[in-house]
Amino acid sequence: MMCVALCAFAQKGLCINDVFEGKVVLKNQMQESLIKGENLASYKLKVLHTARFTTHNNNREEVEKLFYEDMKSRLSDDDENMEMESRNGHLYYAIVQLTDSEKGAHRFICYQCKDNDRRYDITLVYMEGSASLADLRKTFKKK
Amino acid sequence: MKRVTSENVQEYLARYMEGDSTQEELRLLKEYFGNTKDLPAELRPYAQMFAVLEDKPQTPSVEALNRFAGGQVPARRQRVRLWPLVAAACIAAFAVIFLTPPKHEENMAIAYVDGKMITNQAQAMQMGQEALQEIFSNGSEEEQLTDLFNAK
Repeated sequence: MMCVALCAFAQKGLCINDVFEGKVVLKNQMQESLIKGENLASYKLKVLHTARFTTHNNNREEVEKLFYEDMKSRLSDDDENMEMESRNGHLYYAIVQLTDSEKGAHRFICYQCKDNDRRYDITLVYMEGSASLADLRKTFKKK
Repeated sequence: MKRVTSENVQEYLARYMEGDSTQEELRLLKEYFGNTKDLPAELRPYAQMFAVLEDKPQTPSVEALNRFAGGQVPARRQRVRLWPLVAAACIAAFAVIFLTPPKHEENMAIAYVDGKMITNQAQAMQMGQEALQEIFSNGSEEEQLTDLFNAK
């Protein structure tokens, strides 16, 4: 019960919270991880919340809609703060830095969609910490 | 002219006690008890009573009036000194804020797979890292090409 409450708190105020809460895709149909605290210190992060699931088009559109809504709070359209790719009117990939919720705590939301035989593999991430987008690219980009 | 005498004093007193006396009758009673020296024993208490009534209220002396006009403050009221309490409260607040060891951030690493919670921190961390690598590797040319081929 406490974990559920914490999950909701991690990205409080964001529309994509609905996804993490299982309101779009059921919780038992997704893989979710929530990491907080010193485990993430080496990445200069405080919170990492991820959700991965395979779903149909309607849910994909719902997640897209929520993500676009949260993008309104983006820090800027500069490459330093945002990466985005869309095809055929659908969002396929986005990393967006949001305005800080508190001083020195950067917030990021990430979205990825991959076609999978008329279904879609979606990865959704929320991050919070002192890392910049450049730091995160450097850390997590596959060699 | 009416006068209060030893013969009629009882009548005047009776009227006074009933509250029926006029101001003139009261003045006559005061005058009688103020001036008569050999009062019978039963009337002496009345003499004391009318003597008290005769007393005029004390008027303040000129000096007292001057002191008042000069703004001299009467004796100061005893004040409760607050500053030691305020100082103690400030020190306590300082101690709480700066001397309390910083609260460690809550540490957690949990995961859910198919609705089941996984409390193994290493496994949860791995899932988080894989999701991030999935996201941040998206821009690679190889995956873009794969996506393009898959796209209809």
